[in-house]
Amino acid sequence: MNYARFLTAVSAARKPSPIRILTELQQRSPPSLISLAGGAPNPNTFPFQSASIKVKNGQTVSFDEAAMKRALQYSASNGIPELLTWMKNLQKNLHNPPTASYTSENGQMDMCVTTGSQEGLCKVFEMLVNPGDNVLLDAPTYSGTLAALQPLGCNLINVPSDQHGMIPAALKEVLSRWDPSEVHKPGSTAPKVLYTIPNGGNPTGASMTTQRKKEVYELARQYDMLIIEDDPYYFLQFDKPWAPTFLSMDVDGRIIRTDSFSKILSSGLRIGFVTGPKPLVDRVVLHIQASTMHTSTFTQLMVSQLLHSWGQEGFLQHIDRVIEFYRGQRDAMISSADKWLKGLWTEWHSPSAGMFLWIKLKGIADTQQLIMQKALEKEVLLVPGGVFMINSSDPCPYVRAAFSLSTPEQIDEAFRRLSSLIKEAL
Amino acid sequence: MNYARFLTAVSAARKPSPIRILTELQQRSPPSLISLAGGAPNPNTFPFQSASIKVKNGQTVSFDEAAMKRALQYSASNGIPELLTWMKNLQKNLHNPPTASYTSENGQMDMCVTTGSQEGLCKVFEMLVNPGDNVLLDAPTYSGTLAALQPLGCNLINVPSDQHGMIPAALKEVLSRWDPSEVHKPGSTAPKVLYTIPNGGNPTGASMTTQRKKEVYELARQYDMLIIEDDPYYFLQFDKPWAPTFLSMDVDGRIIRTDSFSKILSSGLRIGFVTGPKPLVDRVVLHIQASTMHTSTFTQLMVSQLLHSWGQEGFLQHIDRYVTGCTAICALTGLTAEWHSPSAGMFLWIKLKGIADTQQLIMQKALEKEVLLVPGGVFMINSSDPCPYVRAAFSLSTPEQIDEAFRRLSSLIKEAL
Repeated sequence: MNYARFLTAVSAARKPSPIRILTELQQRSPPSLISLAGGAPNPNTFPFQSASIKVKNGQTVSFDEAAMKRALQYSASNGIPELLTWMKNLQKNLHNPPTASYTSENGQMDMCVTTGSQEGLCKVFEMLVNPGDNVLLDAPTYSGTLAALQPLGCNLINVPSDQHGMIPAALKEVLSRWDPSEVHKPGSTAPKVLYTIPNGGNPTGASMTTQRKKEVYELARQYDMLIIEDDPYYFLQFDKPWAPTFLSMDVDGRIIRTDSFSKILSSGLRIGFVTGPKPLVDRVVLHIQASTMHTSTFTQLMVSQLLHSWGQEGFLQHIDRVIEFYRGQRDAMISSADKWLKGLWTEWHSPSAGMFLWIKLKGIADTQQLIMQKALEKEVLLVPGGVFMINSSDPCPYVRAAFSLSTPEQIDEAFRRLSSLIKEAL
Repeated sequence: MNYARFLTAVSAARKPSPIRILTELQQRSPPSLISLAGGAPNPNTFPFQSASIKVKNGQTVSFDEAAMKRALQYSASNGIPELLTWMKNLQKNLHNPPTASYTSENGQMDMCVTTGSQEGLCKVFEMLVNPGDNVLLDAPTYSGTLAALQPLGCNLINVPSDQHGMIPAALKEVLSRWDPSEVHKPGSTAPKVLYTIPNGGNPTGASMTTQRKKEVYELARQYDMLIIEDDPYYFLQFDKPWAPTFLSMDVDGRIIRTDSFSKILSSGLRIGFVTGPKPLVDRVVLHIQASTMHTSTFTQLMVSQLLHSWGQEGFLQHIDRYVTGCTAICALTGLTAEWHSPSAGMFLWIKLKGIADTQQLIMQKALEKEVLLVPGGVFMINSSDPCPYVRAAFSLSTPEQIDEAFRRLSSLIKEAL
């Protein structure tokens, strides 16, 4: 793969910190070497001394004074080594990426820790997208992605999708505008980047089938595109076996994958991961070096200690418990939808992953007004679907309902109110 | 101030999250409202239950189950309210910014929390700097700033400085290329951004005098520039009273200031602050919304609880204890070298007389002598220019180690000459 052709000028211009080289020299030298080179502050002056964090299964994650000093000090921009190692092993175990054994130039699988997977996504977009570039995605999509992409001045091209995700035939149709033999020519406007949320999409709840992923990957090969596999609900798939990922079929090294712990360990701690070809992950790390510098060492150590104490098995057992909760919530919402919304000219598909139900109110041209004005009177709030569209002012008959936070009783009452709202509007 | 003229196209195009409006609606509504709008996960599924963090003065910062759920959940992109309030009060107390009482359009002082002040700096640069723009700064400067700025394709113009920081007469000379009456004309190449580290500069250790700050501010007014006041060593000033900041003299609302807790509370937690005119802070917050989303809620609560338990007084006492521990440095006897004792920060900037470029000296010979310092070239706009300086940090080594290191350095230089 020629990775250079995908980089923006700004990304290509990023250089490693020259001081980093001194740190490496110090680490390779005997302890008798005295370094006055590091610009780090003295952790003896930091006021926090030790920490003890109780975990729900009775365990404790603790930092004694020495560990606390480490937790409070600068660390490597790509992440602390023990966490990266654990995550790389997890990725190999779950996805068996072909790229794990490649050389660096051929796109060897590499990873970095980010401050939320959204930081990784934003930096990946900023690495790849120039003003005027064509970027493919299947709208409706996550509004945070639109918020990160739209200011970059690119041209977002929608690829039609349904409850099984992006439709390969539709992607082929969109791409037919360009000749595959011309995509490398200077001045070619062929898209270089395709973005999708393959499991439990936000807002649609759609999940791609393995067959569709293979067909989309083939098209990406034909047109030499990178695929950004944004998969924050991967661990919230309700049924086993979990779907094979784009990463697991990535023979070329053209997949950049973002994983999140926001839905399973903590959203507020801000911890996520980018997995991708080393030449591209390196660029993201260089941007991190110039901005956040690294994800909080304290946070990484906290999460790392927990993961190591669980092992992969304990981690997957924890996830099973989380899935059981969300599956129950989904079932409650589907049951309430069946009870209150059938016969009211509505349509939905039960999601196989994630936290959202995407409901079409067929008799309503645009749900924006319905929600922003009438719904408050009825004391029920949902998200009007327009905010997930490339063009948010286009009329949209959908609403998104989350089943993460409310009790089954609240969900039922909310749908009763929604039902009353729709009846009045029709 | 016309803030719009400073923004890059990308920054100007950022829009608030439409879902945020729903969150605000929910907060304004009675509890009987049921919202299925929020996209947040259920914190009951998170494995961490409670936390207890011991503080060195005997206190404890603790999160019970309810606090832990909050600490583990999403929070506002500009920062948690109690931390922002505490910091705004601190800024008002320390700097009494003129902008504190202004309206929003006139540049009312606003703040946001960032994941390290470096995140704030990077986002400020990305908000303001287009390819080809002229940006003023006094090199040698912090290499992290150069790493953030250089890829943006701007033209870094050096303003000469000495041990008292940027030289106003030199800045005036640099600016004389442009006519102040023409800076707002379309196509003007006049610089819109000036960046400096006013206290305990990295690597030089230089600190600006109040008089120089006033003169630089006046020039910024004449040419309608924004000044980025990057002040991570503000709390590491060795003598009182602390120097008045650019923020304290900012009658126009043209100062964007970054503060850091990295040198006084923790570097690894990643917590810093941007203080500036609301229209500009808003743009930074919109970028945070699309990237990190917010600084870790856990971290902010941890720091906020500590600060509230200390109060401003306890905070300033903590800083006093730190600073008195750091003033022991260097007997550079026998060295043909030149330096100025820093009045703030962690670094000594040493010119090795008789050495044209310290890069080779350090990278090859110093290892043999088992002493490492940073060759000064990495802090220059053009890192390949020969540079006779080295930077020595006095943060991490004991006085004995420092003494031995300088003995080795002295031996190294003697051999080189």
